[in-house]
Amino acid sequence: MVISPTMWFRTKAAVLGDFEQLVLLGVLRLELEDAAYGAAIRQEIHARSRRDVSINAVYTTLDRLESKGLLKSWVGDPTPQRGGRRRKFYALRPAGIAALRQAYRAFTAMADGLQARLETK
Amino acid sequence: MKINSPRFAIWLLSLRLRDEWRDFVVGDLEEEFATRSGDSRLAARAWFWWQTMRCLVAPPAVRPHTRQLERLRGDSTMRSLIADVRYALRVMSRTPSFAVAVIGVMALSIGANTAIFSIVNAVLLRPLPLEEPERLVRLFTRTPGGRAFELSPGKFYDWQRDARSFEGMAMYRFSQFALSGTGTARAIKAGAVGVGFFEIVRARPTLGRTFHPEEDTPGGKYVVILSDRFWKTELGGAPDVIGRTLKLNDEAYTIVGVMPASTSVASWAAMACDVWVPIALTDEQRAARGNHNQQGVARLKAGVELSQAQSEMDAISTQLAREFPKTDKGWGAVIILMQEEIVGDSRTMLVMLLGAVGLVLLIACANVGNLLFTRALSRRKEIAIRSALGAGRGRVFQQLLTEALLLAAAGGALGLLLAHGTLTSASTLLASQVPRAEEISIDARVLLFALGVSILTGMLAGTLPAVRAGRSDLNDALKEGGRGDGAIGVGTRRLLIVCEVALSLVLLMGAGVMVQSLLALRHSDTGFDPNNVLTLEVTLVQTRYPTPAQRSSFFAAALQRIRALPGVEAAGTIDDLPLIDGSSQTLGLEGYPLKRDQVAVQVRQVTPGYLRAMRIPVLRGRDIVESDAEVLLVSRDAAKLYWGADDPIGRRATLPFSKTVLRQVVGIVGDVKQRNLIEASTPTVYFYTRERYGRATFVIRTSLRPATLAHPAVAAIRAIDPEQPVGDIRTMMQVLDAGLTPQSESTACSLTSCADAAARSESEPRLARGQPTFFVW
Repeated sequence: MVISPTMWFRTKAAVLGDFEQLVLLGVLRLELEDAAYGAAIRQEIHARSRRDVSINAVYTTLDRLESKGLLKSWVGDPTPQRGGRRRKFYALRPAGIAALRQAYRAFTAMADGLQARLETK
Repeated sequence: MKINSPRFAIWLLSLRLRDEWRDFVVGDLEEEFATRSGDSRLAARAWFWWQTMRCLVAPPAVRPHTRQLERLRGDSTMRSLIADVRYALRVMSRTPSFAVAVIGVMALSIGANTAIFSIVNAVLLRPLPLEEPERLVRLFTRTPGGRAFELSPGKFYDWQRDARSFEGMAMYRFSQFALSGTGTARAIKAGAVGVGFFEIVRARPTLGRTFHPEEDTPGGKYVVILSDRFWKTELGGAPDVIGRTLKLNDEAYTIVGVMPASTSVASWAAMACDVWVPIALTDEQRAARGNHNQQGVARLKAGVELSQAQSEMDAISTQLAREFPKTDKGWGAVIILMQEEIVGDSRTMLVMLLGAVGLVLLIACANVGNLLFTRALSRRKEIAIRSALGAGRGRVFQQLLTEALLLAAAGGALGLLLAHGTLTSASTLLASQVPRAEEISIDARVLLFALGVSILTGMLAGTLPAVRAGRSDLNDALKEGGRGDGAIGVGTRRLLIVCEVALSLVLLMGAGVMVQSLLALRHSDTGFDPNNVLTLEVTLVQTRYPTPAQRSSFFAAALQRIRALPGVEAAGTIDDLPLIDGSSQTLGLEGYPLKRDQVAVQVRQVTPGYLRAMRIPVLRGRDIVESDAEVLLVSRDAAKLYWGADDPIGRRATLPFSKTVLRQVVGIVGDVKQRNLIEASTPTVYFYTRERYGRATFVIRTSLRPATLAHPAVAAIRAIDPEQPVGDIRTMMQVLDAGLTPQSESTACSLTSCADAAARSESEPRLARGQPTFFVW
């Protein structure tokens, strides 16, 4: 039996809902290009998961994830194609990455060995 | 072509969305609309309206700003803290006797800790009030026996020439000057300093200048530098003092400088002098290698370690031992940091005392913890009701800890006042017991220490009761109601009492050992009887008494007058009193081959009457008498050391400073502790000569209280010479007590701590039972 110091502590990573996972993954995909803002995230989710979510749902979730300490945000400069309005950009905090990792591990562990059944059309 | 997004939809969104989201949501929709319009304008419009509808139904929520949240949370914490403090004050006011007892215990222990820390802070932690004190060192020679000893000028000047680790080295010594011409003649302390002394110490005069090199010669001008204190008290702080003259030892000295008050360091005698004059040694004195009677100070070069300088001095000493084997063989050099030299043995004593009062603090914590625990148990019902109304365990813990911290804060504040009062009232006592006593004060570091100790006491005393009280079962507590605490928590209380008793025992044992040592020292056989003996020191002015005959006749006349005083049983003089240390020399025995490594003995100049005044027994032979000339008395150990089994009486010997004069041994006397109380008695040789020194201490045995004789004795001396200063008037018991200083101080403090600890351990169970208790401090 392996005794690891971490076994004494329960994980502190936040548990994510389904939509929260999609939003965080969207941010993760876009943040490297400094393009993780509401419309881009919505489009990314739409393009990859085929879910046409509303912009208000995206912002509500982003805001909730930020209040949980999983995301940070900042406001960009106004641009002409937005009618002189500003963008609100998001990026993952370490806690957000940890939460995503935990969700990913849980999902892959549960799906392990079920690929054949899950991937059937 | 730019296609406009639906204006009405945007207007609706602007109405519905809060300011903080409007820009981002509408901007995003406009941006995506523009992209979608490229494919189909209609589809883009439809999409825009669909998104708008969804936003109108459920717009993004407005979350309170994080900072607002923090402020709200802070307010709540502060509110609960204020509520806790208010509640604690109400609880304390309901049972003032309990609060007074707890605050009293804490005040005494925190006060004792703060007072001792103030001393430790001033003596050990605060740097000396001199510039860059970490580079300032004292120089000593190392005797063949390994002791640090005073310097001889010959060796010092060789060190000064060869050593490269130092910025500068200077020699100094102390003398006593008779100040006349400003009222009653009195003795003042003077420092005779070599060239560069003030530059090494970094003492810059506020008025005038330091000494010029040409003034440090025997034929040089008589010049003097004043201390700030002397300048203000004797000369009223006159600004035109430079160039004026001062009559010292009947010579007119020209004032060339005044040192600032900041350079007056009471703990270092060289900077605590009234005045300074140039050392001005003659060529013969400068070359003397065997006469160790000078002090040395030096400043290390920047970046040079003490060990490096010591290694260099060791190498120089080895070289000098080869060059001057007769005088330097076996001798070395010792460098000690100035602060270490001043602090001396006090470090161990102070650290020990701090440890002792730390134990007292722990005992107080256990004591108060026990009281708080008992009290928390008696409030179980109240705590249970609070818990039933929704107070969590953490909330109850916070409440009880707040009460303990509040009591500790009150105890700390009172303790600080106690410490201040104790230090102020004991300042005179401290000045005679601890180095740097004049620097003891309550500064920021002490305040921080008191605050830390108070918080620590509150936490230590309050945590256990708070944890245990929060853990009690709600149902039991409510059912038990007002039936008292019964057997609950007995184990914890017993554990606390055991801790207290154990710690008290440790303190008591330590104090017991110290008391025993002190009593043993006080009653140890010093070789003389210190009771009913008065001593007073007289240093004759060289210019008024230039010849040995004049000096002899002065002392003979003074002794005659003193012996005639009522109540005087015997009187004599000695150069250095026992327990004070003094000259140490080797004898040259007539008819014996000169040994190479001869052991030095204590050598004292005495007059007839000294042995009787001190009740030192004559074991064989006889005491010296007035008609004698150049005779010796040897102590029993000295007789054995030099003559072995042979009978020394009738044999002759020489002393190093007058090797041509053969002195005959006329008696063997008892051994006396010459150096200090702790070491064994030292072999001593007493000589009686017509070549009197100008300095002597009168030793007077009286049948009266010795202090009552002080005034008539001084009057008897002044009757011969009204301008002759008389100083250092002490009873022999005071001299003995001064020798006990470090031991007596630590014992007194330990005893006080023990009394405190024992009183608390004894009284604690009674207080816990609610019986009246009186603390005796």
